[in-house]
Amino acid sequence: MDIVYIVVNIVIFLAFAPLFEGIVRKLTAKVQSRQGPPIIQPYYDIIKLLGKENFIVDNWAFTLAPLMSFAAIISVICFVPLGYKANFLTQYADVITIIYLLTLGGVSILLGALSSKNTFAMMGASREMVTMIMVEPVLAMTFFVGAVKVKSLGIDSTIFSVMNTGYSWAVVLMMALYLMALQAFVGKQPFDIAEAEQEILEGPFIEYSGPNYALFKYSMMLKQMFYASLFVMVFVPFLYTGVYALDIVIQLCEIALVYVLIALVGATNPRLRIDQAVKYYAVLIVLALSAVGLSVYGI
Amino acid sequence: MNTDIYGNLFTAMAILAASAVVSPIVAGTKRKMAGWINFIMVTIAAIFLLHISYAVIFKAVPQGSTIINLGPLGIYFLVDSFSAFFIAIVSFMAVMSSFYSIEYMDHYHDYSLSGFYFNLPVFILGMIALLTVDDLTTGFTIAWQLMTIASYFLIKFEFREKNVVYGANKYLVLMELAWALIVGSTFLVSGSSMGDSLHLITENLGHTSPVMMYAVYGLILIGFGFKAGMFPFGQLWLPDAHSIAPSPISALLSGVMLKTGIYGIMRTFFWMIPHGEGVHFNGFLWGTIIASFGVVTLFVGTVQSMKQSDSKRLLAYSSIGQLGYIIFAIGASLVLFNSESQYMKLLALVVIIGALYHVINHAVFKGLLFLVSGSVLYTTGTKDLNKLGGLINFMPVTAIVAGIASLSIAGVPPFSGFASKWTIISSTVLAGSEVMFLVIFGIIALFTSAVTLSCYVKFFGMTFTSTGTEWTVKKDIKEVPFMMLAPKVVLTALCIIQGLLPFVYYNVIIDVFRNSSISTLTSAFRHAEFNNHIFSSMNGISFTVPGMAGAVSSAAVPVVILIVVSLAFVLAKLFKNSGGSEEREAPTWLCGYAELNNLNRYPDRSMFASLKGFFWWTGGNVKK
Repeated sequence: MDIVYIVVNIVIFLAFAPLFEGIVRKLTAKVQSRQGPPIIQPYYDIIKLLGKENFIVDNWAFTLAPLMSFAAIISVICFVPLGYKANFLTQYADVITIIYLLTLGGVSILLGALSSKNTFAMMGASREMVTMIMVEPVLAMTFFVGAVKVKSLGIDSTIFSVMNTGYSWAVVLMMALYLMALQAFVGKQPFDIAEAEQEILEGPFIEYSGPNYALFKYSMMLKQMFYASLFVMVFVPFLYTGVYALDIVIQLCEIALVYVLIALVGATNPRLRIDQAVKYYAVLIVLALSAVGLSVYGI
Repeated sequence: MNTDIYGNLFTAMAILAASAVVSPIVAGTKRKMAGWINFIMVTIAAIFLLHISYAVIFKAVPQGSTIINLGPLGIYFLVDSFSAFFIAIVSFMAVMSSFYSIEYMDHYHDYSLSGFYFNLPVFILGMIALLTVDDLTTGFTIAWQLMTIASYFLIKFEFREKNVVYGANKYLVLMELAWALIVGSTFLVSGSSMGDSLHLITENLGHTSPVMMYAVYGLILIGFGFKAGMFPFGQLWLPDAHSIAPSPISALLSGVMLKTGIYGIMRTFFWMIPHGEGVHFNGFLWGTIIASFGVVTLFVGTVQSMKQSDSKRLLAYSSIGQLGYIIFAIGASLVLFNSESQYMKLLALVVIIGALYHVINHAVFKGLLFLVSGSVLYTTGTKDLNKLGGLINFMPVTAIVAGIASLSIAGVPPFSGFASKWTIISSTVLAGSEVMFLVIFGIIALFTSAVTLSCYVKFFGMTFTSTGTEWTVKKDIKEVPFMMLAPKVVLTALCIIQGLLPFVYYNVIIDVFRNSSISTLTSAFRHAEFNNHIFSSMNGISFTVPGMAGAVSSAAVPVVILIVVSLAFVLAKLFKNSGGSEEREAPTWLCGYAELNNLNRYPDRSMFASLKGFFWWTGGNVKK
């Protein structure tokens, strides 16, 4: 029966990720006094892209990249205990595997960018890589704060550590840091430095069109939803009811709230330069290290 | 069945010595023939050596220290499963490198190959000898000098280039310094004399005053640290020596020679420990020191690697970084091994397994990467990342091989580097619940593996994709000949196998420790109940904490990950084709100069510029 949970995970993520993106776009527009697209616009976008002509560059890496990116994020989603239910796959991996799988998704974006031969794409790839390097430790330490307390790196025990052991100062600090890093995790302003439409024209994705671009766009949305849901699962577990379907509904509502936050921060902040962002991330890393330290001492 | 271990060992050494005589004679007129002779003789020697390794590791042939008389000198030899493990790696990589050399060395038309084919087998012989001698004076000196001097001439192969001679000379001087430190340390041990076996030195160490003991261990650590590329000693010689040597030699230097330093450090800190009352060996302190050196090494080495524009220098610095992981794991294991709780002692064993697994993995993927950069150098004549690009269409096999090697070294699942890095990082993070600094070190190691990824994204991207090179217009580059592809394909297959079946290798490594000559580590391995706590699943690795029944502490099953990713890949493919769109190939629009304009290229100095600037203080910066 556990396998059903995996299917539920994938279906829910695939179904809701564009909706949340639509909410962000609508809200951003409202904040900036614009009309904005309908909430379901991202679905239209993907369907339209799937039918468009697919321009490719003459090497296999270019074609492989979007597929790998999508596959990587779907794999991550398979392992996630949505609705507080550990599934069949959870026992076969731990949080370090999750982190490395997310890296695989990042690598594919870089691979696609580099193989597209476009200078803007390379510029975007360089920025994407720097961002990845600097925010990955924050994600890792989100897990480790729980891991050192429950002495386990298992996905379920780490993610449910707050639910099982309650809030400590370390968790509160980590939660604040996660929120501060959230825009960078999901690649929204002020940290949409790698894509930066107005500046380097979607950076890594500049040469992509049609279904390839749809794959990239979809995997970006899924990644955003993954980070939003991770926040909900790790830090806000107090609405746990025990009924699977109800838990999922509650979590989706909470995820929607996280998206509202993402939209509001994104709509009101200008983009940072990459060197400014690096300094910001460095501060986050140092603070996160101290959160882990606090957690070791049980504070 | 009893195998004559030492008989086989000396036969193998004799064959290597014979190769050093025969191949150079032929090399004067028939260059390829010399390569073949060298390869065949190295292979025969390797078969003998692998047979020794097999017998000692799996059949547990008990081996004591044996004294061999060479004229007036009596030299102690010891082959136990621990040295057999390293012997196996050395012999395997030696075969790969010799095979690759046949074709590769032929393209140095201006240089005679006689010296090369004299020094290559002597170099291998020296490494084997270093792994088998059981003293730190007479035998050690002979082995070390054979290895160092032979490799010095191999590095200096292109002796007409000024910077090559400079780098090689620096290498020679520093290796002699390391030798002096190690040999010198034994004279600080009270009551020891030339030619004492390690066992005797260890006993004497017990009677040495604590201050002297610190000096002895310190000198040995620095000595072998030089060899293993430990920060700051590795930076002095390693990048120069590795980047100027011919590529098959770089592969051997980086893949196996550095590991002799690791071998020395592990031998010293796990085996050369005196027992008994009144002995002051502070394992916790030494572990902390080694782990700190390791973590600095892995961080600094990798960040410096990210800054390099020369592909072989990038690989060389990255070797420092990867060796840092191994040194860090050794130190962490020593710390945990000397702590009180049962849980920590179990993790100590897991970490040390991870360290040895990374030794194999690094030998394979770094050897492979050097062979790749050698192939690129062979076809294009440059190793400057600013001048390379677009080779993916001209050298497809090399590109795929390089891609897999890059993913392996970066630790992307399910390739080989993932399994070993996962082991090291997850166990140190878990250990952090009692030893705080280890969790911080573990996080730095995880951070560094993302930096490693950036090095190899750059290496792969700037070499095989990208654009702006003359050959994208002329299309005059061809894939390297089969002779140079074969060893790379074999090593690539190993990268995949080691990534998917870590469990198999783990059991081998456990056997290695169980059957090695007596030490506290060996007995810990003999008594540990692995079946209950570590490695429960079929093809992957997982371990649980004693006292917390049912809770899996950590698990990674690369096969399952591979299946999940593959299924997801199929889903992606279906999704992509669901719209029924048509595909068309179109050149990238670069303002009309798509192929010609070298200014279209994104130069290496801009790659990760903000991060390079942020980490300027780690050194190794490239001047414009």
